[in-house]
Amino acid sequence: MKKFKKILCGGLVAAILSYIGLFLVFFFDLDGKFLYYVVGPFLIKHYDNMPRKDMTKSEYAMDAFPKYEYAQEEAR
Amino acid sequence: MKKDIKKKLKDFWYGKPHKERRLGDLYIDKTGLYKHREWRGVKDTFYYFHMIWLYNYANLVVDVMKNGGLFVFAKGVWRYRWVGQTYITVMHWFDRGHEGMRGEALRATAWHYRAMTNETIRQFMRMFRADTKLNKGKQNEIYKKTMSHDETVCGAIFYPWRDKIDNVALQMIPYFVTCHVNCQTVLNYIDAVQSIGLPADPCPMCQAEAGIYVLDDYPDYSPAFVASNEACDGSVGTGILQDWFMNKPYFSMPQPMQFDDPLVHKHTMAEIEEAWKFIEEHMGIPFDWDQYVKYTEKFNKLTEFEWEKWDVAANTPYYPINGVAQALYRIYYSQDGYRDIWAQTDEKVRKIMHRCVENKIETFPETRHRLLAWSCAPLYYSFWTTWAYNCWGLNTVMNMDSLMFDMVLRTDTYENALDDLARYHEWAPMRRMAVGGYKHVFELWEYMKRFNCDMVMMYDQLACKGMQGIHGMFEDEFRERNIHAIWMPHALPESRTVSRAEIRRIINDYMFTVMQEEPLDPSLLDFDDSLSW
Repeated sequence: MKKFKKILCGGLVAAILSYIGLFLVFFFDLDGKFLYYVVGPFLIKHYDNMPRKDMTKSEYAMDAFPKYEYAQEEAR
Repeated sequence: MKKDIKKKLKDFWYGKPHKERRLGDLYIDKTGLYKHREWRGVKDTFYYFHMIWLYNYANLVVDVMKNGGLFVFAKGVWRYRWVGQTYITVMHWFDRGHEGMRGEALRATAWHYRAMTNETIRQFMRMFRADTKLNKGKQNEIYKKTMSHDETVCGAIFYPWRDKIDNVALQMIPYFVTCHVNCQTVLNYIDAVQSIGLPADPCPMCQAEAGIYVLDDYPDYSPAFVASNEACDGSVGTGILQDWFMNKPYFSMPQPMQFDDPLVHKHTMAEIEEAWKFIEEHMGIPFDWDQYVKYTEKFNKLTEFEWEKWDVAANTPYYPINGVAQALYRIYYSQDGYRDIWAQTDEKVRKIMHRCVENKIETFPETRHRLLAWSCAPLYYSFWTTWAYNCWGLNTVMNMDSLMFDMVLRTDTYENALDDLARYHEWAPMRRMAVGGYKHVFELWEYMKRFNCDMVMMYDQLACKGMQGIHGMFEDEFRERNIHAIWMPHALPESRTVSRAEIRRIINDYMFTVMQEEPLDPSLLDFDDSLSW
């Protein structure tokens, strides 16, 4: 019973501390600051240095598809 | 001293009155980040913390898990700039749109944002699950059951196959929504298309959409594509580049300019039938009339509630949705087509709105002027409406994009259904009232009366050759009708042409010099957010 009470109290304290921590993150816009100053620059650097296909070398393979003809039909 | 403490306690409990808030002091210079988020009083601060910030962060994860899981999402973030650079910042998009809001308006507006976020996640996760670029070049089963299309081809076109395949607009998430959430992302794509020789003066929307291809940044998630000319010649140019880079079966379904002509309308109906044939042929699944009826009727229910909302917005001060949520939510769902999330959101908003009307809750109590926003809005500053209300008491009651699809789609016979769907298609964004001819462009006067507006925010898309041509006619009409109109220049997604600060300066100048008014919150007059999302 004592052990159970201890676990319950520990859980409650952890929950309260997490709640306060989350509120502080929210109130002081720490999520925004983390994304702006840490995650954003890291990802931008990654995207800027990504090897990319030169799309202007793409083939324009019009003939690879069946010929499509406009045909007006009766209403369904 | 006693009075001071009493006032401080009152401000803590209820939040400061509008004129004492000084919201501009909360910003960190240039970044748009907050020194701290706004204290809205105990009730609304904790509502925002629990039901907006925590709820939405948690649901971002839930939505990703429901639509393919964290691994698929992580692969997409690593591969595509538009998702990684944009959507992780989504809670700041909530913040910007909800600044200064309280009570029922805060609640109703946030539900609109939640719905748009949910639908955005559904779409990009569908793209990633089907994407050959993320799946080692394989065309998996989801690829074979996904139809891609231009963002201005309405989702209703694909209702007949809704139970068997799903449709995802190509540019809606990589381009359109990104501009609202993080205005910096799109600039990479505009620069990319100019780097292969495109001059800088065509519409930056068309440039950006093509630029995503130039950087090979579109997922490849569908066997075929249905295109439209969207609104203008610039989009036709995008279509040519898209067709080249995409290199897959491509059906062009134009949206005519002179759609009031009955022969042109007949032609549009025939084009839709051709598109349906194209889908049948390439997806290998027959057209299903019952599915079309089922989803159209569900969509009509959304339209009916939209009319109820308009009625409250037009005739009472109890409308609980702010200008930016009204505009974005309406254009999003009417273009996207029926999804369960829209109906669920409408139910929540209906309850809030009825409560406001029954209890006569004035949702925007500092309203000095009721605005109608006309023409196409700056995507990088769609939340200017929130700023304008906080700073000047300018309440943007309605906007042009919300009003375009003002119709119920008939489903009694095939002929009537096609007739209405063609009309809906013709009334696409940037078409009916932007470049759809004199009669439609000037529907403004009628809607001003209907929504009891005393001012117009006249968007001036500097790179839109269509609307630029009638600038002078608007000037003459405003003078003739003695209407206060503020011209807001912008370049749609391109935030470097006219900055957000410049837009604020133009509105400030008009309010000081022409209206001879003083701001409600002077701290919002001038601040630097040039490096913000």
